Amino acid sequence: MKKETLLFIFAFIVTITLISPETLPAAPSYQGKTIRIVCGTGPGGGYDRTARLFAKYLPKYLPGKPTIIVENMEGGSSIVAANYLYNIAKPDGLTIGVINRGLPFAQLLKTEGVKFDLTKYGWIGSPTVETNVLTVRSDTPYKSVQDLRNAKGPIKLGSGGPASSATQFPLLLKAFAGIKNIQMVFYRSSREVALAVEQREIDGQTTGYSSFKPQIEKGIYRALIRGRVSEPGIENLPVDESLTNDPIGKKLMALRSGPDRIGRPFIVPPKTPNDLLKIIRDAFAKACKDPEVIATADKLEMRLEYVPGDECLAILKDLFNQPDNIVKEFSKYIKF
Amino acid sequence: MIDAMISGLMINLQLKPFLFMLIGGAIGFWVGILPGLGGGATLALMIPFVYKMTPQEALPFLLGMHSVVCTTGDITSVLFGIPGEGSTVATIVDGYPMAKKGEAGRALGAVLMSSLIGALFGAFFLAIIIPMVRPLVLAFASPEKFVLILLGLTCIATLSGKGKLGLLMGLLGGGLGFLCSLVGQDRQVGVLRFTFGQLYLWNGLSMIPVMIGFFAIPEVIDLTKRGKAIAGDVSFGKLGKGAREGIRDTFSNFWLTLRCSAIGALMGIIPGLGGAVSQWVSYAHAAQSAKTDEERAQFGKGDVRGVIGPGAANNSKEGATLVPTVAFGIPTSGGMAMLLGAFLILGLVPGPDMLSKHLALTYSMVWTIAIANIICVAVCLLFIDHIAKLTTVRASVITPIIFLFCYIGAYTANNSMGDIVVMMVFGVIGYFMVRSKWPRPPFILGFILGDLAESYLYVSTTCYGSAWLLHPKVIVLLCLTLAFASYPYIYQKLTKKEVPQ
Repeated sequence: MKKETLLFIFAFIVTITLISPETLPAAPSYQGKTIRIVCGTGPGGGYDRTARLFAKYLPKYLPGKPTIIVENMEGGSSIVAANYLYNIAKPDGLTIGVINRGLPFAQLLKTEGVKFDLTKYGWIGSPTVETNVLTVRSDTPYKSVQDLRNAKGPIKLGSGGPASSATQFPLLLKAFAGIKNIQMVFYRSSREVALAVEQREIDGQTTGYSSFKPQIEKGIYRALIRGRVSEPGIENLPVDESLTNDPIGKKLMALRSGPDRIGRPFIVPPKTPNDLLKIIRDAFAKACKDPEVIATADKLEMRLEYVPGDECLAILKDLFNQPDNIVKEFSKYIKF
Repeated sequence: MIDAMISGLMINLQLKPFLFMLIGGAIGFWVGILPGLGGGATLALMIPFVYKMTPQEALPFLLGMHSVVCTTGDITSVLFGIPGEGSTVATIVDGYPMAKKGEAGRALGAVLMSSLIGALFGAFFLAIIIPMVRPLVLAFASPEKFVLILLGLTCIATLSGKGKLGLLMGLLGGGLGFLCSLVGQDRQVGVLRFTFGQLYLWNGLSMIPVMIGFFAIPEVIDLTKRGKAIAGDVSFGKLGKGAREGIRDTFSNFWLTLRCSAIGALMGIIPGLGGAVSQWVSYAHAAQSAKTDEERAQFGKGDVRGVIGPGAANNSKEGATLVPTVAFGIPTSGGMAMLLGAFLILGLVPGPDMLSKHLALTYSMVWTIAIANIICVAVCLLFIDHIAKLTTVRASVITPIIFLFCYIGAYTANNSMGDIVVMMVFGVIGYFMVRSKWPRPPFILGFILGDLAESYLYVSTTCYGSAWLLHPKVIVLLCLTLAFASYPYIYQKLTKKEVPQ
């Protein structure tokens, strides 16, 4: 009799487990699990630093306090990592991606090797916005936009390559804002650009405001023009879109600045269950507002500004919803 | 300045900083020995631990690790012909043939002692140039760097085989290396070159898989074919005795060691050139120091000077590479970028403050490099006999292990299967080059310098037109380059010797 009862209980448990798992939802817990953050850039850069910051603090807000490790997956300006997250990584909430915010341009311009649709990922959000500012060395004669327009010789601006926003931003200014003498000089990395400015080999560069804030505040660099996305302290700088009357120019500048709002995007593979995505999103939002995280980010010269996943997705959908003639015009200036 | 130096030493000798330096050094010991896993990637793994540390504890911890990886990386290069680090490849060229001759102990003794002298030289160099560091770094803009790279390329003449045919083979090898360095997305217009539709190749060929394939795979094949241990039939007893001889070799070539250390330190200070280049330039310099052609012919076949030169240079550059990071906040490599991140976490702002307000801390970094290397080399020397005996393990046992390390080492470059494919392809190329007696170092020099040369020539021309050719520093460096390039011919004419074909 006792044996039969035990058998019955066992059969009952097995049946319930097999046929109706949804009816007994155990709250998803990460206890004892390890989450990987796949970072699409190499160690040492801004994306990597952001990924490692959240690898440290995100577990505090996830149920079960999992361990989070960062794995750098370089290649194709993050295309390799994005392809991996789209096609190979399991949608089990154990893989998170941090990808280049310029990837929407790769998809829009149908760049070779793109095997993903950015709108299909689960968007967690971004902990920062990246404001582009055109800066020059303080000892150059350029003190205003008019000075730039009146420049007699070349205004040499450094950048890491044609696909960088440090190139796209000034090229649009050159084409539509009357700053004809801009000359781009490409270096092997943004580190070399900074050194070249110190060496007076070039006059300045377009850069993320947060990473150059100390130099701008100390008066080593002078900020002259900013993109649409702003940050405290540079609200009064002229915005690139306001420097042209050409409607196409305005449109292209607006499109270019879209991804600035999704500064350092955190995503999960497509088809990740909604409950898991919600847990990660909530934890991420809380971590972005945690005073300890803000203080650490401050030390790393990062200013946190939480941008929700839905907002990132809306920006992308707007970008991908452009008529062909605009995309064609856009591709003249924007490379990936 | 003396006060700051002493205060720096005092920081290092406190219990907690000293312990952290030891822990860092122990980690660095293994990171160096294991191929592929580099100092930069390990710093990334160590950063989370420094959040709660003070700068006085964190810097010895991080630098203690980073400053010994090249020292122990040399051990792997000598014993197995696998580069332990990207900057210890040149040690293989003579170190591994020495191991094959049963002189592993001697090679290890020489490379460890020259590494120590190099590291101490680098630390000393860093200590004395700290006050004048800014003008020194700023003096080398793109045109000067381009000519320095040309100077590096002239080393191909020294690294090639003997005679006119040897030089031709060297130049062809260098040209092939140059061609391989062009793989990837072009920086100027974004064109994809030789990528064959593979995203993996967008960033170009990674150095580590290429080096491992090029140097280690042919040796593994050779080892399998021979079927004997790396050191052949040499007995255990003879191996152990070599270490002292190797140390003596370093001291009998003391000036060479110092000159190569100086090359490492000077190249290390110039952002962009880095350790990968300085090891080869110093190797070429060591080869150039051979007085006769017969002596010169021994390089590549196990000349101890070919081990001492790169051993000294790849360690002396450690102190110097810190300079741009500390003085300008401009990191020169991935590893230094991680260190910069650590600086910021610790609340230190690199730049003039590090040379005034935090000078004691900067000097404590110098001391860390020196002390960590002294301890590391002392520990290695204690176990050198046992380490050298690994070369007497029979081929059937050691080959699979070396193969495994090759795979792991190559794979850690990008965590991609592409790394393995690249390693195998370059393994095959390397094997056929060895079989047909083509010198491999010119290829590596072309491979490392090609990308740099292209980039700096482009920037020089874009920024200055052709006017850069008339910069005084460029003219001086060009004269030096010409002198270097023509030296072997002038020497040959002066000694009036026929060079065999």
